[in-house]
Amino acid sequence: MRLVRYLQHWLSDTGPRLQVTDFVPDTHPLRQWADTFPWATLVAAVEHSFAQRFPKRSPCGRAPVPVRVLLALELLKHELGASDEDICHRLRTDFAVMYACGLREYQAPRSQAHFVLPETLCEFRGRIDEALMDELIAIQAAAAMAEGLVSPAHLVVDTFPCEQGSQRVTDATTLYKAQKKPLSSSKVLPSGPAAEPSH
Amino acid sequence: MRSFGRQCRGQGHVFVKLVRLTEGRLLALGSPITVLGPQAQQLLDQATDLQDVQRERLARELTAAMGAHEHIRKQSGRLTQGKKLSHCKIVNAYDPTIAPIIKGKSNCPVQFGRKPGLMSEPATGFIFANLVPQGNPSDPSYVLPLLDKVQRAIERVQIKPQLRVHSVAGDLGLHDAALRQAIHQRGILTVGIPKSIEPINPNPSAKEVLDILNEAGLNRQRTPHQVQLACACGYSRPVVESHIASLLSRGAGQVRYQGHPGAVLQQGMTVMAHNGATLVRIRQQRLSKRAQKFRRLLGLRHRKINEINHPKD
Repeated sequence: MRLVRYLQHWLSDTGPRLQVTDFVPDTHPLRQWADTFPWATLVAAVEHSFAQRFPKRSPCGRAPVPVRVLLALELLKHELGASDEDICHRLRTDFAVMYACGLREYQAPRSQAHFVLPETLCEFRGRIDEALMDELIAIQAAAAMAEGLVSPAHLVVDTFPCEQGSQRVTDATTLYKAQKKPLSSSKVLPSGPAAEPSH
Repeated sequence: MRSFGRQCRGQGHVFVKLVRLTEGRLLALGSPITVLGPQAQQLLDQATDLQDVQRERLARELTAAMGAHEHIRKQSGRLTQGKKLSHCKIVNAYDPTIAPIIKGKSNCPVQFGRKPGLMSEPATGFIFANLVPQGNPSDPSYVLPLLDKVQRAIERVQIKPQLRVHSVAGDLGLHDAALRQAIHQRGILTVGIPKSIEPINPNPSAKEVLDILNEAGLNRQRTPHQVQLACACGYSRPVVESHIASLLSRGAGQVRYQGHPGAVLQQGMTVMAHNGATLVRIRQQRLSKRAQKFRRLLGLRHRKINEINHPKD
């Protein structure tokens, strides 16, 4: 019953439609940041690339989450330093994030565009390849150059190191932990019955 | 950074046995691919019910899988206890594209990870292109691919006259005769790449400007004013560090996605997020005095916010 009450607003599709722009002032940092992107061109490039590489075979199924929302979420993730779960939660409650994702009204429509699962975001990310990523950066740079904001006349080149910090548990880390565990447990329990594994 | 190699400095650990053990397991797991791979290739060519796009994708993935096994097999015999790690040696069994960053540090354990390159505007920090290569190639090999990417971005701009790259700057690591020649052939000055540890003269005389143009063979393509701007711009380590620091603050210092495609995606998204913040600073005129002066000399205008998405009619 609590769940139904919680979702009532979403299921019944009722209630006043709130204008997102009313809650996010012009001076809000996220609004200003989001307004710098040429969204229409970026979304067109992503859709074109996806249509070529992942052709839609059937018209059936639920309507997809808009590319505009997913692309903005991926960018926001890096701008705000948030995880997939965090950014998807913020999309449901934070009007500035909704604005950045191109959602202008807050009320659960049938499409539920502002209800994105972290898995959906992960799947979207997996479809972006190197060529598409380069194209997106080129589109952003071209838009800024066309507006006269930046010039490519004098450029500087450099490199920087970054660590491959995957949090995945690999065979190597498992083996390393397994090798260390008997040593540490033998120090804690020098005698007596063996401890039960805590799985 | 994780370390791997000599233990002259720091508290790093060397897991040579661990890497060798994991390599052995991977090799045993992937050994049938030498037989099954070509058979699968033949069957894929004969399959008529597949679309061209699907066939190409499958063929590409199959080739990548066969190449990965070959890479691990070739590398597996090279790791020897006590010896320095060679270039392109596998250091992560789950990601063979990671390689040690050997250059740039002395008397310390060899770093490994990825080494993205970027090409940015020194005044504002807007990044025009980035590159995440497989392994860790030399610094000069980054420049031409990055210039190609910038050129593709320029070709998207419809305004006249067409924008051009006038000069490229970099650190002493980019001092390479072949690279300079290749850049000059594209009509780009290399004043900003130093030839020695001596600083670049920011105010060259008329004779020096002429010498620079003659040396590059660009006295009919580049003007003295452009040479003076290039010299004034030069190469400043703190400026580049500020661009890199902005990327690091957005998580570029640690790649969290898997493999080379994941690194490309993360760095690309970070660059786009950084560029968005840079454009906000430009529109709000929150720039250093030097950057403002440089923008005036380049003839760049001040734009009000919201004009990209809501242009005036």
